[in-house]
Amino acid sequence: MTSSHDPQLLKGILSLLLLHLLAEQESYGYEVVQRLQGAGFADVLEGTVYPALARLEREGRLASRLVASSSGPARKYYRLTDAGHEALAAGAAGWARHVAGVEAVLSRPLSAAPQKGS
Amino acid sequence: MPNTVSWSDRLRVEWVVWSLDQRLYDLPRHTRIAHRREVRANLLAAAAEVGAGEALKRLGSARELAAQYLDAEFGEGPRHSWLAAALFAFTTPLVLNFFLSEAANAYEQAITAPGAHADGSYSWGGVTWLQSPLTFELHQGQATHVGGAYTPLTYVLLVVGAIACGRLWRALPRRRTPRQAHPVAG
Repeated sequence: MTSSHDPQLLKGILSLLLLHLLAEQESYGYEVVQRLQGAGFADVLEGTVYPALARLEREGRLASRLVASSSGPARKYYRLTDAGHEALAAGAAGWARHVAGVEAVLSRPLSAAPQKGS
Repeated sequence: MPNTVSWSDRLRVEWVVWSLDQRLYDLPRHTRIAHRREVRANLLAAAAEVGAGEALKRLGSARELAAQYLDAEFGEGPRHSWLAAALFAFTTPLVLNFFLSEAANAYEQAITAPGAHADGSYSWGGVTWLQSPLTFELHQGQATHVGGAYTPLTYVLLVVGAIACGRLWRALPRRRTPRQAHPVAG
């Protein structure tokens, strides 16, 4: 999954992706970006992810702690709070409904395309 | 492949962090410092991984990043700016003092022009509404003056101007729409 994604669609689901990744494993900002890119979202930029993490933390869905690093300044590691787990569950359910709805529409057979000049 | 982060790379990182920091002055101090430290740590980690040039490129412009941080803190849409209010409050008196001083100098030159050894006391009402009357004392052609302070109206205008410039009414908790958590998908 290396093709580019619709930026608007990505913006809508970025928080959900971040919550899921951080539910899997506590990470710091750049590591989250690497994991996103490893999952195929290569066009997600750091400049989008860091403010999204700040927003989730401000909303109480993430908690953070500073961990000393041997190769530079202390890194800010994020993990989910209880509210974050609830948001993740609600978001995942919402996304599943969204996908099911879209698939239901897209799976409808199309009538034959109108012929040119007919 | 890990890269060595040179001093020039660190300087480039620090420049971006500083540029970001300058645009985050409307955030609470501890939040601004936390963002600054986090971006620096992440940039250095990224620079060690992919090189400073690529790391900075992927971060995007400091202006855009700052705007997103401000949106994350205050929500999207129009908001107040303490920086704009402070800029008005500090620069307007400087400009105003310059023009009031020039006006007083012009009056002084007018009363000293007729004779080099004139004596006397002169009173000038000052710039209407903005300053108190000035009294000029002339002795042997040398003038000194007292008065010309700001009127209460001037202070009111400065305060109103600062509020208007910074749209500070948007900082009032009662006037702001309570910020709700965004749904995480859909």
